[in-house]
Amino acid sequence: MTLSPRFNLTVGILATLCLAAIIHILVVLSIPHNVQHSAFDNIAKHGPDRQFNLLPDVEPGHEVLPDLDPAMKHAACRFELADGPVLFDASIPVSFWSIGLFNSAGEAVYSLNNRTAGAESLSMLVLTTEQLSILRENPPENLEDLIVIETEEISGFALLRAFVPHPSKAGTVDNALMAANCGTIG
Amino acid sequence: MTDASLRPPAPAHSEADWFQEKLPRAIRPHRSHPLRTLTAVTLVVALASLLGISSAYLVIEREQPLDAVSIGPWQAYPRAGTADADPYSVAIYTRGAVIPLASGEGLALVAREDSAGHLLDPTCIYRIYGQTPSARLWTMTAVDGHGRLVETLPGRVHLASQNLLRNPDGSFDVTAATKPQSGNWLPLAASASASDGLRFVLRLYDAPVTTGAALDGVSMPTIERKGCP
Repeated sequence: MTLSPRFNLTVGILATLCLAAIIHILVVLSIPHNVQHSAFDNIAKHGPDRQFNLLPDVEPGHEVLPDLDPAMKHAACRFELADGPVLFDASIPVSFWSIGLFNSAGEAVYSLNNRTAGAESLSMLVLTTEQLSILRENPPENLEDLIVIETEEISGFALLRAFVPHPSKAGTVDNALMAANCGTIG
Repeated sequence: MTDASLRPPAPAHSEADWFQEKLPRAIRPHRSHPLRTLTAVTLVVALASLLGISSAYLVIEREQPLDAVSIGPWQAYPRAGTADADPYSVAIYTRGAVIPLASGEGLALVAREDSAGHLLDPTCIYRIYGQTPSARLWTMTAVDGHGRLVETLPGRVHLASQNLLRNPDGSFDVTAATKPQSGNWLPLAASASASDGLRFVLRLYDAPVTTGAALDGVSMPTIERKGCP
């Protein structure tokens, strides 16, 4: 079939645009699967899993993770729920602190700050639905006082942020963050 | 009626002349040229790849998630970094390994332009004044066009609401400049050129406005350009 050159050109342009749109969508969707350094991987560089590792201060030129607030100090803890429930325990004597729970893709799963925690100190238990039903059969004494979070995410990390109101408080905040617990229950 | 119209028409396609050029073009026998077809297909595929990849790169590199909530020059991305994020935000955040401020912690707002709509320039002096939505604590940081912190003269790169001088009505007035200023001074990059870019990041901690809907109608500080070298 021989069609007019103009028709051929139109078909060619349409085909190019459709194919370009498909490639654009494929590229955007494939980026999350092909990143070399996710936040979950980067945190592993700062210390072992299942304990809060103090991240270096956020300063120009040495930002360990992008987009962190220089007014805060941060501690991160990586965990695998397959190794058992995680109990977060922290007591930070500053006017503001917050904790965010993220899955391995870096999506926020749960978050709270020292006002919504409802207590001076943080005690939060993160577990899967199965682990919770096992735990309910023989509940620990302080289960009522814990913030219990059921999640389907097997691996993830927690980021603890604490506000440093004045440089003279930096040492206190460092110590409180290093004393924070990201361990097992019981 | 003339004689010609009554006469039966001459057969257009008799068996003897089927190969002649009288056939309509669409059904004329056609011999394809394999090389020409190959060239055309290659051209289409190459052009489409170029267009698709470069447009994706441009959108991701701009680092501006699509579903932004804008209040004056300030933009927030309440859904980025959650399970409801759009694919562009997911790509931008995972590529940059960015850990977002989760909704229970606070909300980050970014300004890339001043209130008059001009791109921010790190060599200029800006006055940021007004009110913020209610929050227990907020911090303001100056970063470059890629969101990185920059070296400043005093070494400090942020202002916190707790240490701020305020007007009697509770509003505040911040001067962002490279050189020291009286009042609330937000230091900008010590050595910067206009091409480095500038963004102001306002982080509201423990703010009720962490969802997009609550952001309608809140007052955000105005960014005014005071002067440029």
